[in-house]
Amino acid sequence: MTTDVDVLIIGAGASGAALAWSLAETRMRILCLEQGDWMNPADYPSTRRDWEVRMDREFSPNPNIRRRPEDYPINDDDSPISVVNFNGVGGSTILYAAHFPRPHPSDFRVRSLDGVADDWPMDYATLEPFYALNDRQMGVAGLAGDPACPPHQPPLPPVPLGLAGETMARGFNALGWHWWPSDIAIATRDYEGRAACVNLGPCKAGCAQGAKSSTDITYWPIARRAGVQLRTRCRVREILVDDKDMATGVVYYDERGVEHRQRAEVVVLACNGVGTPRLLLNSRSARFPDGLANRSGLVGRNLMIHPWGMVRGAFDAPLDSYRGPLSCCILSQQFYETDRSRGFVRGYNMQITRGLGPVATARMGVARGDIPWGEGHHEAFARRYGRSMGIGICCEDLPEECNRVTLDPTLTDSNGIPAPKITYRLSENTERMLRHGLERGTEVMKAAGAWDVYAEGPVRQTGWHLLGTARMGDDPERSVVNGWGRSHDVRNLFIVDGSVFVTSGGVNPTPTIQAVALYVADAMKQRLANLFD
Amino acid sequence: MTTDRVDSADSGRPLTSGQRAALDLVLNLMLPPSADGRMPGAAEVGVPAYLFAEAPDALPLLRQELEELDRHSRERFAREFAETEEYEAKSLIEEMRAREPSFMSRLSMETLACYYQHDRVLEGLGLEARPPYPKGYQVVQGDLSLLEPVRARGKIYRDAP
Repeated sequence: MTTDVDVLIIGAGASGAALAWSLAETRMRILCLEQGDWMNPADYPSTRRDWEVRMDREFSPNPNIRRRPEDYPINDDDSPISVVNFNGVGGSTILYAAHFPRPHPSDFRVRSLDGVADDWPMDYATLEPFYALNDRQMGVAGLAGDPACPPHQPPLPPVPLGLAGETMARGFNALGWHWWPSDIAIATRDYEGRAACVNLGPCKAGCAQGAKSSTDITYWPIARRAGVQLRTRCRVREILVDDKDMATGVVYYDERGVEHRQRAEVVVLACNGVGTPRLLLNSRSARFPDGLANRSGLVGRNLMIHPWGMVRGAFDAPLDSYRGPLSCCILSQQFYETDRSRGFVRGYNMQITRGLGPVATARMGVARGDIPWGEGHHEAFARRYGRSMGIGICCEDLPEECNRVTLDPTLTDSNGIPAPKITYRLSENTERMLRHGLERGTEVMKAAGAWDVYAEGPVRQTGWHLLGTARMGDDPERSVVNGWGRSHDVRNLFIVDGSVFVTSGGVNPTPTIQAVALYVADAMKQRLANLFD
Repeated sequence: MTTDRVDSADSGRPLTSGQRAALDLVLNLMLPPSADGRMPGAAEVGVPAYLFAEAPDALPLLRQELEELDRHSRERFAREFAETEEYEAKSLIEEMRAREPSFMSRLSMETLACYYQHDRVLEGLGLEARPPYPKGYQVVQGDLSLLEPVRARGKIYRDAP
């Protein structure tokens, strides 16, 4: 028997946690159902000698490789890029790199400025207070004054550049290109009860130190103390609706596979840009034969995933590049804003990633033929280990209806719920952008002094940024939710994850996902008396 | 034929002594000890035990590949692979990898994982043989005065209507 709740949130990741925390002050009965479990930081790979191998197995970002009981499979055969995620309290923030750059004002006015895609229903200035609030709650490190971004003050000092970041900075300076210490969600000093970063390195396998700002250690402890319930290992099968097109609750399975019904006055989806359309498409009924909240036909369409390029360079001098937060020490937004002379619209972010551990260095070197078997192995390894680094090219992809999430006709999760299938291809605009990024990345790597450079893209295991599949907008025919996250079709159903993005920008989306979730929560609080009007 | 069970966590058949000898030969060709003695050879770091414990699914293919080496070795040199001279073994593997580039690549990837996690190897590289946590690492802060030219060029983002 389950008690009715006022607000039922599905998903305890980046957006669900932020919304739960924000709504907690209303004293409503709030319950979050999460299909994954709490993570034990003592289990993270960095606590063990075999950390590099474990990162590729039980902590792989690809659920099809990881195969934890709480994971659902994803058919990505029809995509050059695999979807990567994590299912647990904290969601993908458990494994994310915590790179936290803000978008630009122009990212919200793509149609007005560049004549492509659509404008967002809100602008950067409207979201700015929520970015700032989120930065404080999560704990974001950075350096104020970046001329590529509107003014803001990260609450924590930046992560160290290290020898690697400093070397690349000199390369960018040699070319007269922009660079800046990137905003990153890592506690660079003790912050709100969390210990400071000690430069473990493998941030993307969970942070044993607790310095990386995943929502299981930021928003959730506060939200739970304020009365929000969080029930783990509960996988929602479908959302139920009545004959007035109002959501009445959900059907879910607990850890033992027992089916439950949970009634709620308001249902909020926070399952990411693949999980949310999957659940809506699985929630078919007589009134919604094509999936819940899908009278526009746009649920699952317009998937954006940020095609990723990678440029790697090897240097003569030691860079200690295996040390320090892996994801990003500096970024460059030299090619972020539209310049049509480049042959494409919109742009990309370049982020400097540090080097690899010994196992990954050796495996990559041998696979590429840079490090031979036999004689010469040790010398070739020594020339690369600790002397290499990378540049990630994060390309903005524009919404296209052909890029989509559907339900696989045969693949299911362990509860028998149909699994998602991804259909995705790069547009010509994105292809040109990616090529440009790989060329510029190669150029700056050489300017920084690399003796060997290679570039590739799109890189397959990089589909972290799952956006656009239940887009926001004022027109019910052209969008799934309105400008404050409420479904056009189901007036007590809200979506707060990356699904609602109208366009993707060219930066890591977690700050924007969370700012939008806080904005939606604020809109709900302001309209409590007439939320469903 | 005698057998040599290499690990109690074995989830499959043990390797025969002939297969073990052939594997050791392959491993030392793959990753020989360094001339200065600092780095051990791959045959010294317990690769078979690692395979049985951590990558048992790699064993069926490994057995098949070792059998292929034996077959070709008998045809070419009239003796089993483990009994060939080092230069003969090397040329045989190179030929087979030239014909089929994925030949022994799974073994290679698992061997590298085993090798570059081993205490002797990490110490040979001048690293501490320990997990990253809890000690972490020191990272130099870096020179933020390098930002002066970036600041001097001024704002580069667009205002939006």
